[in-house]
Amino acid sequence: MLCYHPSLDMLTDYSSGSLSLPHALGVSAHLDQCADCREQLRRLNTLGAELFAHQETTAPEAKLDSLKASLMEKIGQQPQPTERRAPAVDERLRSIPASLRRLIPNGYDELDWMSLTPSFKLAMLSNEPGGAQVALSRIKAGAHMPTHTHTGNEITLVLSGAFSDEDGVYRKGDFICRNDDDKHRPRVTKDAECICLIVLDAPIEFTGWFTRLLNPIMRRFHPSTVPSNA
Amino acid sequence: MNTVSDTNTETTLLNDIVLVAENRDTRALTRLFDHYAPRIRSFCLAAQPGANLMADDIAQEVMIRLWNKAHLYNPSSASLNTWVFTIARNARIDYMRKNGRYQSDIDPESFWSEMVDENADPFREAQQQRDQDRIREGLMKLPNDQRQVLSKVYLEGKSHSEASEDLGLPLGTVKSRVRLALNKLSIFIKR
Repeated sequence: MLCYHPSLDMLTDYSSGSLSLPHALGVSAHLDQCADCREQLRRLNTLGAELFAHQETTAPEAKLDSLKASLMEKIGQQPQPTERRAPAVDERLRSIPASLRRLIPNGYDELDWMSLTPSFKLAMLSNEPGGAQVALSRIKAGAHMPTHTHTGNEITLVLSGAFSDEDGVYRKGDFICRNDDDKHRPRVTKDAECICLIVLDAPIEFTGWFTRLLNPIMRRFHPSTVPSNA
Repeated sequence: MNTVSDTNTETTLLNDIVLVAENRDTRALTRLFDHYAPRIRSFCLAAQPGANLMADDIAQEVMIRLWNKAHLYNPSSASLNTWVFTIARNARIDYMRKNGRYQSDIDPESFWSEMVDENADPFREAQQQRDQDRIREGLMKLPNDQRQVLSKVYLEGKSHSEASEDLGLPLGTVKSRVRLALNKLSIFIKR
């Protein structure tokens, strides 16, 4: 049973399609692992469908007729639909939520990890110009993540292992959303390393005297400070 | 909103999607078009008033997806309306992404799913029907201000903060109206 879930506001924005793609990716990777939230989402989608089905419609008849004619022409050119079965999932990817597999095509180990400290590594998954950053963090068993504050909202989704902070213990599938007032120092449990998906609106600021040196690195990789295509 | 005629229409549409899936029946597709295309256009125009070309493109794109994916539709995982709504929503996100509103290297296809849930069972179908009936009736009784906010969010595709700007209301008011509405419709079940 998971203890930490996306807020109802966030699920509503996911269902209506207004959540930004990086956040939606985080929510979706949680949904892959949480039957409760999938049920909530199913009802939210039903609500959307009811509003959709009972809209006022005003399209002129002639316009719809020509649209229909062009549709019928196009479907004549469609290839036969493909079979239902999806290809078997690669063994290395089984433990990765389905939503993330396209971004982690060869498993966690094959990603381009940067070692920021001896026990803390980071791999970028996506840098959206002007948007949020999506990355994986990987912290050794029993290690602390350097003390840091957030300069924007941060989503953390535990993918493997567990960590704890002042407020609780977070396990695989847990979804944690923090805002910019939080200053915290998560610690990974002693039994295993911990891999998390993190979605950052703004670069993390490290506040320790040594790890402060990492701030230029974090900024360098955050899209809000990187020219596009960099 | 007449529930009896809604139910009749839904049965016909459900037959039509099966005819498309099993027989590649183009007449069934035209009937689906007659029902859904005007709704998809309105849904797009709600987000981008005046963008008729976009509305036509998306309506056509959604109908092509229905044609190509009809065999994947599973009534125990979602009602047909819900399935079409999620396809239209995804097509709208996709269109806006390709046309600049969301610059991103994340492909929403891989996760904003159309809910082909392999584990769905007939028991779920009955549950789903009950949820749908309750939501439909609840919507009719909802105060206008709550309904208006839900339309902003779902049909216009506005985030809570965009809706608050549009309506000239504080963000907290928008959020609490959405919450009140979701509570009345029993959408949020306490964990």
